Amino acid sequence: MNRTLLSIFRKELIHIFRDLQSLFMVLTMPLLMLLLYGYAITLDMKGIDLAITDQSHSPESRELIDRIASTDFFRITARDTPPGEAGALFESRSARAMLVIPSAYARDLIDGPDAQVQLLVDASDPNAASFITAYLGQVVAQQNARANPNAPLLFNVSQRIFYNPDMRSADFFVPGLIALILILISTLLTSIAIVREKESGTLEQLLVSPIRPLQLILGKVLPYTMLGFVDGLVILVVGSIWFKVPVEGSFLLVLLMMFIYVVTGISLGILVSTIAKTQAVAMLAAVTMTILPSVMMSGFIFPIASMPRFFQYLSAIIPATYFLEIIRGIVLKGNTLANLAIPAGVLVGMDILLITAAVRSFRIRLE
Amino acid sequence: MRRIIHIVRKEFRQIRRTKAYFGIIFLAPFAMLLILGSAITNEVKDVPVVVVDGDHTPGSRQIADAFAASSSFRYVGTADSENEAKRLLDDGNAKIAVIIPLHFERDTGDGRTPTVQLLVDGVDGNSAGVGLGYATSLLAGVQQRWVIEKRVPALLLAANGGRAVAVRQITVVPRMWYNPSLDSKPNFVPGLIGILLIMITTFLTAVNVVREKEIGTLEQLMVTPLSGLELMIGKIIPFTILGFAQMTVSVVAAGVVFGIWMKGSLLLFYAMAAIFCLSTLGVGIFVSSLARTQQQAMFIAWFIMIFALLLSGFFVPIENMPRAIQYLTYVNPLRYFIIVLREIYLKGTPFRFLWKEALAMGVIGIATLLSASLRFQKRLT
Repeated sequence: MNRTLLSIFRKELIHIFRDLQSLFMVLTMPLLMLLLYGYAITLDMKGIDLAITDQSHSPESRELIDRIASTDFFRITARDTPPGEAGALFESRSARAMLVIPSAYARDLIDGPDAQVQLLVDASDPNAASFITAYLGQVVAQQNARANPNAPLLFNVSQRIFYNPDMRSADFFVPGLIALILILISTLLTSIAIVREKESGTLEQLLVSPIRPLQLILGKVLPYTMLGFVDGLVILVVGSIWFKVPVEGSFLLVLLMMFIYVVTGISLGILVSTIAKTQAVAMLAAVTMTILPSVMMSGFIFPIASMPRFFQYLSAIIPATYFLEIIRGIVLKGNTLANLAIPAGVLVGMDILLITAAVRSFRIRLE
Repeated sequence: MRRIIHIVRKEFRQIRRTKAYFGIIFLAPFAMLLILGSAITNEVKDVPVVVVDGDHTPGSRQIADAFAASSSFRYVGTADSENEAKRLLDDGNAKIAVIIPLHFERDTGDGRTPTVQLLVDGVDGNSAGVGLGYATSLLAGVQQRWVIEKRVPALLLAANGGRAVAVRQITVVPRMWYNPSLDSKPNFVPGLIGILLIMITTFLTAVNVVREKEIGTLEQLMVTPLSGLELMIGKIIPFTILGFAQMTVSVVAAGVVFGIWMKGSLLLFYAMAAIFCLSTLGVGIFVSSLARTQQQAMFIAWFIMIFALLLSGFFVPIENMPRAIQYLTYVNPLRYFIIVLREIYLKGTPFRFLWKEALAMGVIGIATLLSASLRFQKRLT
């Protein structure tokens, strides 16, 4: 039993190491993705191009403009463009928003109770638009507070941010990337590994040999499991050293959960490969079943709670959804197994279901 | 010229025989736009919030009710203690906990200014920041309402000269152009049309050429009097046509599924897409000269696509990336095409504001196509 398994295992390793180009890609792609996601992703904005049209020309309006100019939220790119030309300004993208201070501003401010300013926002990028309104709101609130030092304050609001106090995006993405890479490698590579033998006809040769199906599957799967594990560990180690993402929880628990998750991906891959007839079909199926949903609908980037109800249900059948919760929980929150009983249980359930389905489908194909 | 037509005809015959292409052209746009258009959103909604009411007075209940009534939050319920709230954060059942201290109402009445604490799960920094903003502005709103309702203690009123409302106040009246509801779909759907275009022109081109390599038919083509350039053009034309057919379906799908129709000129849109295709086809040919197997071709193409997507401003603003990465985005044709798509789709921007993007895409496209064809021909000989 063990000798046979070992020789299949060795054969697969030889296959992997012969195709150095692919091996190189499998090992470097995660690192490059880590660097990009660690550095490049932040939805925050700074230095937003703002046009200001001051129709008031008063000391009061100049005070407000100075205050806006002194922040690093905005960069004033145009002054005193007529409000009617805001459209041209937005279309030429020389400003994302235009602040109009009306001529009655100074008088209204002195007479009270309030002086209105207009903010025209190019909302074709809604993310930018909400940052612009929020930032300007902050600047104006500061100005209001300075102008009214004695305004009544009933209560204060204080905030404490847990787990990721600086709200850094690297802390969010590095553990998430492990979930992505593991499913990519375990499903995609496994799905191809068996179909390739089918396509080239060598699977039949293997089947007439005294190897049992289980040995064959295990021997095929183990090398890829190791590859996936190595990738996961590399991301975790590089992420925690380079991006200083602290691992709060138990490292052993991370390994255990990674194992459960890799088994999910591999059983999914085997299921695909027992059904698919050609490599192209297997790859396409694996890609549509793993990468896209895992990136878009698992909460890797986009919050699940914001999705329409139907897509929230859909995200509940994606393994990455649960592993993301687990890995972020352990790495950032220091969660223990007790906190994670539900997602871990779901993953184990998926494992059992998928393995049963894969073995059954494989047996049927064999006969 | 005649030879190119023959190749094109051969390709179309093969395409007609592959049923999957019809699915890719006619069904994929609908499915992709529906799924991705709905799932991709950087709006933050339904933030799960828990309230620890340590005071149990009408005032503290008003705060809890305000959170329960807000559409930005999903009210999980109340917790008995800060520790219990912390546990809910640990388990991931709540993202924000609002802690109202004991004697909250009495202290506001006395002018002792109590503090409401917000505990925030900061794991997802972006969403946490936005959620925190919602919570603070909601509390500020409650506070303002109380001030107007004259629940201001006499002590504070006296300090303010008897007037409850701040006197010199600036109000910002925002007006949102092009997308007043700040829906993220109009922002993402045009971009998705561009990404679907890459799928065909880069992926299919690369895989198609590599497949001929794998099967061995490429060698047969090479012993014919066909030149490398003719072969390449013959391969490019069918997939360009396929890509444009799919793009047209995408435009219809965006309108039918989401009601997002193009504001600007359709002609300009197609012209820009043609310029963009120069680079995607170039990348496709380039990948095909790099890869030995279809699997590798897929891998490399995916790899390039993920990078192009991330560095295009499609869902991550470029302005805030580190300077070095920002320079990298200038050589990414998708960066310009995403701008063009959004401008034409949402604002109806005319060409005179988009010629720079067209120029950049054209230069990158010709450079890519040239280097790809050089490499392709070297490989052939």
